[in-house]
Amino acid sequence: MRLLSKLSYYYFWLSVFVLGITGVMLFLFLRHEVSKEIEEQLELQTDMVAEEIRMGRNVNFPLVQITAGDVQLMKLPKVFKDTLLYDRLQKESEGYYYFAESKKINSGYYRIKVMTTYIGWNNYSRTIIYIFICIAVMLIILGTLVNYFISSRIWKPFLINLKRMKGYSVSSREELELARTDVKEFQEMNFVLADLAARGRREYNALKEFTENASHEIQTPLSILRTRLESISQLPVNDDLARLLNDAKQAVLRLNKVNKGLLLLAKLENDAFTDKQSILMDEVLRRNFELMEDLFQTKALKVTQAIQQKEVFVSSSLMEILISNLLSNALSYCPAQGTVSISLNPESLEIGNDGPPLTFEESKLFTRFGKGAPGLSGNGLGLSIVKQICISYQWTIAYRYAENRHFFKISF
Amino acid sequence: MFVLSLNSTKLAANIKGNSKEFLKTLKKPNLYVSTQPMKVLFVEDEPVLLEEMETYFSSLDCICEQACTFRQAEQKLRDYMYDVVVLDITLPDGSGIDLITDIRKSHIETGILILSAKDSLQDKLKGLNLGADDYLTKPFYLEELNARVNAIYRRKTLKGEEQITFDQFTMEPLSKSLFFDSKEVCLTRKEYDMLIYFVLNKNRVVSKASIVEHLWGDHFDQNDNFDTVYVHLMNLRKKLSSTSGKDYIKTVYGMGYKFTF
Repeated sequence: MRLLSKLSYYYFWLSVFVLGITGVMLFLFLRHEVSKEIEEQLELQTDMVAEEIRMGRNVNFPLVQITAGDVQLMKLPKVFKDTLLYDRLQKESEGYYYFAESKKINSGYYRIKVMTTYIGWNNYSRTIIYIFICIAVMLIILGTLVNYFISSRIWKPFLINLKRMKGYSVSSREELELARTDVKEFQEMNFVLADLAARGRREYNALKEFTENASHEIQTPLSILRTRLESISQLPVNDDLARLLNDAKQAVLRLNKVNKGLLLLAKLENDAFTDKQSILMDEVLRRNFELMEDLFQTKALKVTQAIQQKEVFVSSSLMEILISNLLSNALSYCPAQGTVSISLNPESLEIGNDGPPLTFEESKLFTRFGKGAPGLSGNGLGLSIVKQICISYQWTIAYRYAENRHFFKISF
Repeated sequence: MFVLSLNSTKLAANIKGNSKEFLKTLKKPNLYVSTQPMKVLFVEDEPVLLEEMETYFSSLDCICEQACTFRQAEQKLRDYMYDVVVLDITLPDGSGIDLITDIRKSHIETGILILSAKDSLQDKLKGLNLGADDYLTKPFYLEELNARVNAIYRRKTLKGEEQITFDQFTMEPLSKSLFFDSKEVCLTRKEYDMLIYFVLNKNRVVSKASIVEHLWGDHFDQNDNFDTVYVHLMNLRKKLSSTSGKDYIKTVYGMGYKFTF
């Protein structure tokens, strides 16, 4: 629930509560006051009727009843009550107030009873309820409007900062800049956010440095391993030892590839490749293919090419890695005598190869170490490097499987 | 027999003409034989790597010097002249990058090869811009290092005029062509690259992985390439033996190949 809705919600129930109580009070007070006024009016009327009688005029008035009697009448008290009278026109009984008082006028005793109609309290209460509902609705609508305008002012820095926080990444090089505010709570929050961001960035950088350093530190021992293993290879070795040595060398090779791949991914995520330049993708594609042509020939792969000119503004080293990874992937997974298709046009690059369907989920294709079949030569990073490069240039890479062929398509 | 000569074609022709007699005068076949052997300085803080590099390059009759700190390297570079400096960037007391400018100021001819654990593009570009000739990332194969150092040496010190000869074969690095008694033997680009790799690293067991990295770089998965190495190797072997009647390339079971003559 939005803050504004939540506030309005509580505001609504508060309004209902307050308006309910005040409505009832208003009704009661009103009824009391109106009754008092009517009583006063009727008393005055009685007095005026008595005056008429005293003057000897004949009083014949509808809703005025005059009864003459003896001194006993004086014992009857003043009465102010309501009663029902039949309304001939409306054809229903209606409520009336009557006021009765005994008076001694010119040595005669009279009981004077005057009546007046009263507006039905049902109508009163209904009207009051309508008015109060009106007030409540207006309060809520106007209140919400006011809140909205206030929020667009007071909450503005908060919302701006929220947006900035959403777009903020500890890996980005820009500092987190928060909009200033004069609201104390927001100031405090800004302070906490800025501190959090700074700490996050510090720790991220430390981790990044650690990853890079670790990768670099691994390279030197790997060099030692490799050169020593090659030196041992120079000595006369028997077949058993040769096999053991070979396994060790393969492991060094794999370790080296994984290490380099991880380092490359870390750098890609840091956006460390700033050597952007205008590059003809078709040239890179042709050059890389030429370098690998003999590899395709050995596997007796048929290669179909449809390459058009395409210029991109990217890092040349990343372009090489992207192309060679895709070609290498097609080469590795295309069965012998299969067909590899390479097509480049101004909108997209598509590389396809024959092959049985994936034995694992498609979603794992681009994840690190997500390969399915063990024992395949890939290091499990090639496609995730391709994906990461595409992400950093806002290209989309899509995989599809059709007619027993795998296709990787990069749309620019 | 194996000679790398720095002299002009005239002298080369002379050697070729009297190759057998001329070569008898040499006690040992020497890759870097010219008027004087190549002098290399290895700047590297890892003793095992220093030892390996020195052992291998000494076996190729190079004069090797070592420096394991920035200060030591600075001192040696001031006192002597080297044909090639193999330079590690991360040294305990400084960055190898800073040595490049010093070397360039005093000896324009000295070749510089950066050997770095950092596969960082910035370092590479910076190093090459400052005047380094090549860049090799750890972990490396000694054969590859040798091939690169040799290429620098030929380009800078020998001005690219030399040829590489073994038996009656002559390799011309500039045109990437092979001659047998001045008759050209047609090699594909990859076969030539493979041959020069073997020749420069003669008498050494060269692993398939090392050849793969030399021929295709390290972007590719290795296992697919082994078959192709085999195909190229068989073709090369056939071409060499059909012209000379001699099989130069020996298969060392499970380990790789060895080029001998």
